[in-house]
Amino acid sequence: MKKIQYIIILAFIGLTSCNKVIDLYPESNLNTGTFYSNDAEVKTGLTACYNGLQLPMFREWQLTELRSDNTYMGVPGSTNSFNRELSDLDWFVPATSMDAIYQFWLNTYFNIRNCNILLQKLGVNYDPASGSISLSNIDIPITDVNRKQYAGEALFIRAYHYFNLVRLFGGAFLVYTPISPLDAKTTNRSSLADTYKFIEADLTAASTYMSNKTFSQIVPADKGRATSWAAKALLGKVYLTQNKKASAISQLDDVRLNSGYGLQSTYANVFSTGNEVNNEVLFTVRYKAGGLGLGSSFGNDFAPLASSGIVITGTVRNWNTPTSSIDSFYTAADARKAVNVGRFLPSPTVTSLYVKKFTSPVTIDLDGESDWPVIRYADVLLMLAEAQGNTGTSVGYISQIRTRAGLGSISGAFATVAEFEKELTDQRRAEFAFENLRWFDLLRYGTTLTTINPVQILKDHFEYEYVAHYATYVAPVPTLLQLKGYVTTDKLLLPIPQREIDLNTQFVIAQNPGY
Amino acid sequence: MKKLQGLLVILLFASGTLLAQKKTISGKVTGQAGNDPLLGVNILANNQKGGTASKQDGTYSITVDSKTTTLIFSFVGYTTQTVVIGEKNIIDVILAPAIATGEEVVVIGYGTQKKSSVTGAVAKYTNDRLEETPNSRLDQALQGKIAGVRVQNISSEAGADPKVQVRGISSVSAGAEPLVVVDGHPLYEGLSFVNMADVASVEVLKDAASAAIYGSRGANGVIIVTTKSGKANKTKYSVKFSTGVKEAYELYPMMTTTEYTNLLFYEASLRLKDPSITTQPAILNSNERAAYIVESQIRGGVGTDWQREAIRNANVKNIQMNVSGGNSGVKYYISGGYQNDQGMMYHSEYERFTVKAKVDAQLSKKVKLSFNFNPSYIKKESPGATFTDFYRLQSFLPVTVDASIVDFIRQHPNGQYTNIQVGDFVHANMFNNRVYSGLMPDGSLWTTTSATSPFATANQSPKAIMENVSITNNDYRALTSGDISIEILPGLNFKSLASAFVRYSNGLDFGKTNSRSVTYPSTGVYRSQFFVDLLSENTISYNKRIKDHSFDFLTGFTAQKTKIRTEQTTATNYASDNITTLNTATVQTDPTQTFNETLSRGLLSGLARMIYGYKDKYLLNVSFRADGSSYFGTGNKWGYFPSASIGWLASKEKFFDNLSWLSSLKLRASYGATGNNNIGDYLFVDRLFSTNYAFGASTGTVLSGQSISRLILSNPDITWELTNQFNAGIDVALFKNAISFSLDVYRSKTDQLLLDQSTQAFAGVPNFINNIGKIQNDGIEFEITSNNIRKKDFRWSTTANISRTRNKVLEFGGEPFLFKNGERSEVYRNIVGQPLVQYYGFKTDGVWLSQADITASGISNSVNPAWLVPGALKIVDIDGNKILNDNDRTILGNPYPDFIWGITNNFTYKDFDLSFFFQGSQGGKVIGGDANYNETKRYNKNYNSDRWVSPAFPGDGKTPYSTLGINWMLTDYVVEDASFYALRELLVGYTLPEKFAKKAGLSSLRVYFSGQNLFYHKAASFRGLNPEARNTGGLYASTQIDGYQRGAFPVQKTLLFGIDFNF
Repeated sequence: MKKIQYIIILAFIGLTSCNKVIDLYPESNLNTGTFYSNDAEVKTGLTACYNGLQLPMFREWQLTELRSDNTYMGVPGSTNSFNRELSDLDWFVPATSMDAIYQFWLNTYFNIRNCNILLQKLGVNYDPASGSISLSNIDIPITDVNRKQYAGEALFIRAYHYFNLVRLFGGAFLVYTPISPLDAKTTNRSSLADTYKFIEADLTAASTYMSNKTFSQIVPADKGRATSWAAKALLGKVYLTQNKKASAISQLDDVRLNSGYGLQSTYANVFSTGNEVNNEVLFTVRYKAGGLGLGSSFGNDFAPLASSGIVITGTVRNWNTPTSSIDSFYTAADARKAVNVGRFLPSPTVTSLYVKKFTSPVTIDLDGESDWPVIRYADVLLMLAEAQGNTGTSVGYISQIRTRAGLGSISGAFATVAEFEKELTDQRRAEFAFENLRWFDLLRYGTTLTTINPVQILKDHFEYEYVAHYATYVAPVPTLLQLKGYVTTDKLLLPIPQREIDLNTQFVIAQNPGY
Repeated sequence: MKKLQGLLVILLFASGTLLAQKKTISGKVTGQAGNDPLLGVNILANNQKGGTASKQDGTYSITVDSKTTTLIFSFVGYTTQTVVIGEKNIIDVILAPAIATGEEVVVIGYGTQKKSSVTGAVAKYTNDRLEETPNSRLDQALQGKIAGVRVQNISSEAGADPKVQVRGISSVSAGAEPLVVVDGHPLYEGLSFVNMADVASVEVLKDAASAAIYGSRGANGVIIVTTKSGKANKTKYSVKFSTGVKEAYELYPMMTTTEYTNLLFYEASLRLKDPSITTQPAILNSNERAAYIVESQIRGGVGTDWQREAIRNANVKNIQMNVSGGNSGVKYYISGGYQNDQGMMYHSEYERFTVKAKVDAQLSKKVKLSFNFNPSYIKKESPGATFTDFYRLQSFLPVTVDASIVDFIRQHPNGQYTNIQVGDFVHANMFNNRVYSGLMPDGSLWTTTSATSPFATANQSPKAIMENVSITNNDYRALTSGDISIEILPGLNFKSLASAFVRYSNGLDFGKTNSRSVTYPSTGVYRSQFFVDLLSENTISYNKRIKDHSFDFLTGFTAQKTKIRTEQTTATNYASDNITTLNTATVQTDPTQTFNETLSRGLLSGLARMIYGYKDKYLLNVSFRADGSSYFGTGNKWGYFPSASIGWLASKEKFFDNLSWLSSLKLRASYGATGNNNIGDYLFVDRLFSTNYAFGASTGTVLSGQSISRLILSNPDITWELTNQFNAGIDVALFKNAISFSLDVYRSKTDQLLLDQSTQAFAGVPNFINNIGKIQNDGIEFEITSNNIRKKDFRWSTTANISRTRNKVLEFGGEPFLFKNGERSEVYRNIVGQPLVQYYGFKTDGVWLSQADITASGISNSVNPAWLVPGALKIVDIDGNKILNDNDRTILGNPYPDFIWGITNNFTYKDFDLSFFFQGSQGGKVIGGDANYNETKRYNKNYNSDRWVSPAFPGDGKTPYSTLGINWMLTDYVVEDASFYALRELLVGYTLPEKFAKKAGLSSLRVYFSGQNLFYHKAASFRGLNPEARNTGGLYASTQIDGYQRGAFPVQKTLLFGIDFNF
């Protein structure tokens, strides 16, 4: 009987030291409750904001380059749902619930949240009434210089995302703190003007917070981070997009004169994987090969079908195929042609075109090295030309670009504005092919230039490619008339993802016209 | 309607039991096994004096007068049985041995209870030849056998997990699967490894009052599996062996490339006759023409039946051995089992070894010890290609290079294939970029000078992938428990149980060089998981009877701790395809595919229960449990789960005494609270995940970054979901227990749902976890057992069950609905006031017959102008504004059946026995994802027969032309009726008469044949193969989505032969 008592007593003792059983915290992860407590941790959080640039970039070309006259979806009639969405985008008939649009939207706003978490920890506030950024007291032990540098980088990234959103979707949902899910449900779209006001505030603050070291002064380890110059160049583009030409000129000229950035000697060098973050690239989304999970998939995404092992190792997808119009747009002498447009001959009688500038060799599938430039010095020069109009100086800038491409130099203003604008837009198209600039350029030309009609260009594009491409869709083939009919001014904006509208139960979120 | 007729026919089988009178009655009395005659059984007639007793061989004879209606059979150690005489002359009786209490006992949480005193809704399934059915797993075998338990065999692949639900869905984002308790150890994966042959019984605690003793894990019901124990008798040996074959019940009706081309030419000839067609569209593009030429000319008209390349007639084998016995001190049961199930897909195999040792020892008068050790090993091989990959492939592609095409391929212009050999796997590229010409079906000669590609893909054919990719998984499990019971005072017992469940899983997915696509590098993914679950359970029970009052108290503490460590490593570019070890790989990590993670979970509980009975007639059961869980943050960890139930054994009342036809009548009612903690780990805090980036000159240096989850935001305030359920039931037995049935109705409400609440994507993360919303389940369940005929040589009994569950969302914290998108744009909404999952999209009304039809509809515009074309699905303009846009979407159906049912008929005739089990599900819809793919809709006769061709030839006016108009996945065109019924099991057995068996030195010998799905009926409108199939991976793991299938695996038909030796 005594033995039994002992057993019972022992069993109960086993139960007393118990709270440890249920008082558990994550073992394999850090958590937001305790993180961001010092300089190093804030910097680690900031690194995540840079990483967050990659996922929206994976979708960006689908919403820009593909819809422009530079590329189309290369597998006509494929019913692979990914291809079909690309096809719908290419034809200007995107569904409001399209995944491609939603994923770009979601991934962009995800990174905006990353930036907002960091900016909140750094005490960076936006006042929508005055449209200005201010700093409040924080208790993280960090120097003022570093605090402002980190804040500036995050503000730059946030502004970059909003600038893309506003051009693709119109007035955005302005989220400048890590809002709670419930607050999100009571947030409506802001006007176009308020959105631009916010972007300008972010970039203005970013350009003053960040270091204004010239290119050669930047320590090698910091190359690739946003700089004051990148913020100014982007701000210049933001102004130009709004046709605020004088403001644009002052930002862009500052970059031209004081940044220490310039043109690379050859066009190919700009994109060479041996020459990354060079003095022409003001800001770029970086990729790194080597099985780190940081490589780019674009080489594989854009390689033509049946070219696996020839054009690139591994998967080949044939998305984002160059149109025959961009191929024939380049003259034989143009050094940019060979860099941009690849040619693959699966058999002696067939030539497949593909986007070549991001196709660095890969050893692991979907793991390329090539960076994707966001803003280049060449862009700064041509934006200056666009802002200044048909002047000798403008033509001089254009001439720099022409000369490097191996085309003859030109000088002096053109006889007519139309001739100037044609040369300017031609050079932009040739120079920035497949860099996701063409679409935004076309949109902007409608306001900054006088002789260019974006809608007409897009209609002409269907006409130009119709027989060789659009007519080869599997029955029913769209008629040319239908395709041209799909291009309307309304369709130059994408629809707000249907999910955002469906989810709001407080009020009706306005969809863009035409959807 | 046909389904209903079928159902009626089956139900008619269930009727029976006849009444009348006669004089001399004879028969035989035997024990439980039906073959051991009982000597000296007392047999009395109810209305006359005197009686008789059975003889040596169990036979008896008694003469009764016309007033006698029943015979009463009684025997020491056996349950007394009363039999209605009716018109029978011969009455054979099988007496059941009396258990300690003289009554059937059911297992409830932390104890057992007499069936007659159960006041909750507890269903018991006693293992009766479960192992003779052609099922690979216990959970699969339970399909249709218990009312209120819905088992969906969502895949026919070998060893696949079925989906198990008890009484509907009471949770949205947390898991909806019931808790499984194996010999006292609560384990969610409990049903996946138990050897069916070792199972003694399966109890299901369906209502909240019964499940409340499991507190925070009881909301989805509790399934208790009790394994066999040894009995105090002489040692018994049993060896069972079965083997069989399985095959696909049906395959998809696919057209060959030639048939399809002929169809297109036929349709073109129709269009030519249609004056309204002014410009004839191209019949085929050049790639399709080339494919036709490959099949019809280069391959001599013979296409490949790709489905047959995936599917085989597979073998199954099962060997079971056990030894059991003991004396009054020590009892033991030891078994070993081996099972090998080949899947119908090549390279699909499920292999299981189990060992079980259970020893019960009475150490002293007061101390009892049990020890249970149950290790198992399961090996699973899965194919590297899915069935869809096969069935969507066009027939013109051969599987391998044969003599007829080897020269053709060697002449490929890019020179890549000059060394190709007969027998090599074909790659589509071998036919691409070639110049083809040849005769078309209309006799015209097609020539072209440009190269064409019949099927552009970089992927290898699925057959090549299947042969060069291997996916294996090994699960090593051991459930070990020991418990000691001590009788402190008479009626007062202390029990302490310690149990450990350990699972180690490892697996390797290895793809050889070029296995999946051209230039695919050899890749190995090594997975392993170590899962340890420790349980300590200490209870004190006290039973006391004071005159008419009986008490049964239980109280105790339990602690359960789980530790999980998961690891995965990925490597590529191996030195050789024949060595798959990590150290032979050139690249040893792919960071996106390489990780390890540890997780801990803990649960602390206190529990108490009282069962009170007054005169064994008025019953009361009260229980309480407190659970503290590591799933929630400080201050929210503890939840409390009370329950109460009452019962009234009305048949024990005096006024029922003269109703001799009523054997027993019990009324029950219960109310209780249960919880659900089956949610993601650590959702009370935002975890950070690695998100690195390269900075610095040249190609940069990687710096570490940390960011929040992309999928879900945490919430520090989350706590328990709480389900309250009311249950009322009635148990009736009639005609001396010849017929017994139970009826239960219930209503449950789950509050503060742990919801993956959707939020605006512009918040950055599309979902967050929240305790919000209410959901309700109503249901009714009916179970009946009827002994229709009990004659000397012939017995027939029927058991049947039918149940219906209705589920309704009551609120989502003020939001009218939640929604999720499926993989192919289809939309699922969870709408307040409706059953949880609703398909949402456009309603259609046939197809647009012509442009005139469109014009007549007055619809002026459409978001996508391509929707408004003749031959496309005609979208109904729901809001009537003559514009087709997203506002025209509506509810299209839901996945929930109106009712599910199962019916088993057992016959024995002399030494033969026959049982057949029908099971079905009526109502409920699925979404057929095959409609999304060109390959799976174009060549499938279920989609292309009688379709619209032109305004003059509109087909049946309902079938759209496959490439026109709106994406079908957005419409009700893909919402199909998932009703079915099937002959799930058919079992024919023969038991060798004992006298012959004895001669062979055996106590018994039995042979049997069994079959599965020998007959399967699905709705006529259903276009797929298997209405039960569901996609459950990825997106579809969410409870917010249900009912989607794509490339469903065929239903399997199995035939089994088995032989049992007992000695």
